[in-house]
Amino acid sequence: MRIAVLLSAGRHAVSGRPAPVPVELQAVGLAADFVERHGADLTGLHAGPDVGPLRDALGHGLPNLVHLVTGADDDPLPSLAAALREGAFDLILAGRVAQGGEDSGLLPYALARALGLPIVSDAAALAPGETPGTLNVEQALPRGARRRLLVRLPVLVTVHPAAPAARPFAFAGARRGILETRPGLAAPRASTGLEERPYRPRPKLIAKAAAGASAAERLKAATEAASGGGRLLVDPPPEEAAREILAYLAGIGVVAKR
Amino acid sequence: MSRPRKDPRAERAAQRVAGATRPRFDLARTPETATSGRPRRDPRAEERLALVPGTLRRRLDRTRRAGEAAIPAPQPLATPAPDAPALRRIPEPAFLVALVPDAPGGRLTPHDRQLFGAARLLADAGGGAVVALVDPAADDLAAAGADRVLTLPVSGYDPEGKALALDAALAALGLRHLLFPESAEGGDLARRVAALSGEALFAGAESLTAKAVTRAAHGRRTEQRGAPPTLISLAPDAVAPHAGTLHEALPVAFAFPATTGGAILAAEFVAADPARVSLAEADFVTSAGNGVSDFETFRALIAALGATPGASRMVCDAGLMPRAAQVGASGTVLDARCYFALGIAGAPQHLQGVAKCEHVVAVNTDLHAAMIERAGLAIVADAQEVMPALLRLIAEEASA
Repeated sequence: MRIAVLLSAGRHAVSGRPAPVPVELQAVGLAADFVERHGADLTGLHAGPDVGPLRDALGHGLPNLVHLVTGADDDPLPSLAAALREGAFDLILAGRVAQGGEDSGLLPYALARALGLPIVSDAAALAPGETPGTLNVEQALPRGARRRLLVRLPVLVTVHPAAPAARPFAFAGARRGILETRPGLAAPRASTGLEERPYRPRPKLIAKAAAGASAAERLKAATEAASGGGRLLVDPPPEEAAREILAYLAGIGVVAKR
Repeated sequence: MSRPRKDPRAERAAQRVAGATRPRFDLARTPETATSGRPRRDPRAEERLALVPGTLRRRLDRTRRAGEAAIPAPQPLATPAPDAPALRRIPEPAFLVALVPDAPGGRLTPHDRQLFGAARLLADAGGGAVVALVDPAADDLAAAGADRVLTLPVSGYDPEGKALALDAALAALGLRHLLFPESAEGGDLARRVAALSGEALFAGAESLTAKAVTRAAHGRRTEQRGAPPTLISLAPDAVAPHAGTLHEALPVAFAFPATTGGAILAAEFVAADPARVSLAEADFVTSAGNGVSDFETFRALIAALGATPGASRMVCDAGLMPRAAQVGASGTVLDARCYFALGIAGAPQHLQGVAKCEHVVAVNTDLHAAMIERAGLAIVADAQEVMPALLRLIAEEASA
């Protein structure tokens, strides 16, 4: 089995300096655990003008990294697609969204489309399936829920931040890891036609009342969270208090109705 | 109501005796026509006339000119009947704006409702109609703002099949915009449709009007702005949900192409284990504060209710609960649906952590505690006595 992990040139969320994307290091950790338990070939792939801090991924459990050298304004998609097709990988892992580029999270989907592979999003754990040629993927859902999927290989999987934390950096691993440099394909990126300006945080919607509601309703929605306006029971017997609480919790659906 | 308005200066000038070097006034003389001609206003009578009868709140209608109608007799106050929202029909839409709500379990999430608000914004700007593309069985679509409803032929977890159906609908129905929520499922679907159709996706729109949408790019350092494209995924809390008018939610028929099974061979939903899920993403949190001293009962209660354990700073400082369980500004800010506070008075820092919770239940001995005021169900009682009573009641109901 051959596994590839796609690494993108990210930027640190606070300082803005070049840094690996944390969820991609988690993907490296997932793949390295899979290799240790079940045996496989593991390779990292990066397409861009410069490796920079992505060399650190070698210290986080990646045995070798292939750098496809492209221009600064080139689209990485054709280079990655060609390298992945040539490598005949069974499992391709990628992060969810890059940090520092377009940040739209479209590349794994476009890549899956170009390679004709199925894509599974938001993996938190990986295990081989019972029959050969299948993979068990645990998908992270909102509010801590999970979905267990059985998928046919080859497949492209994006990794969720709920996956196990990335392995700590090991200097010896970084020294041992092999960095291979290959020329990529020149593919000038098409212009998006969007105007760009410095980012300004937009105010988030606070009032719960909708746009068409009356002024009285908007006022009520803006103030009711602070004032509560709920039921008040003063010194009820404990049994009555317990009945009221259970009825309220069952009414809003957090406790099963009996 | 309107007397002639007095003009004291003119009256004084009329009383002045002419021809004297020093000013002399004959106060006995009556002024002849010393009025200014403007009628004197009676603001109280005007207000009585402008008063709209029959409303609970005092309301004045200033547009009614005073004197047009007689002063109405005071009527007994009646609560106005909440008028049903007007139904708006769009029989011949100029274009279609489609949206794909998540609607887990057939219930629209707040994010879905905001998506409807965005779709209505785009559609109403040019006389278009909103088409909701839903999995089977989503409720409340008419009130949410859907003019048409198209049911997608999807069974089970099959995002690729859903994306193929959406791609077919996008091409065949000539949709001007197709909107997705930027959530785990909606975002995934949006990118699948973008890859299938070759259209550019405007991912995570943070503001949206009929003329322009914006999104963050380059690690939230630049803002991209442009006219709304075909495929948009909307960030949460960016657009207000639709309200005011009711829409038809007419079912539409469309022949979707048959899809073959994808690469996903089996899918099984595993519900979150409330004991292990992190506080930040827990759905129901039960917290202990300084009013709780019996933590064995508290843990038993958490297990019985199926809640995620939380605690106040006091309890965590005392080492009675782990620091990871602390709720509040210096602990975890919750995103839970329901918060059950046992023996917590509600310091401002604690209430910050609960600000996003929809429902709060509080048990506290202090009637004037801030948590009692915040709660939807507030019980002024000792939490130490309520906890065993709750456990007994749950056990009774389980055995019954």
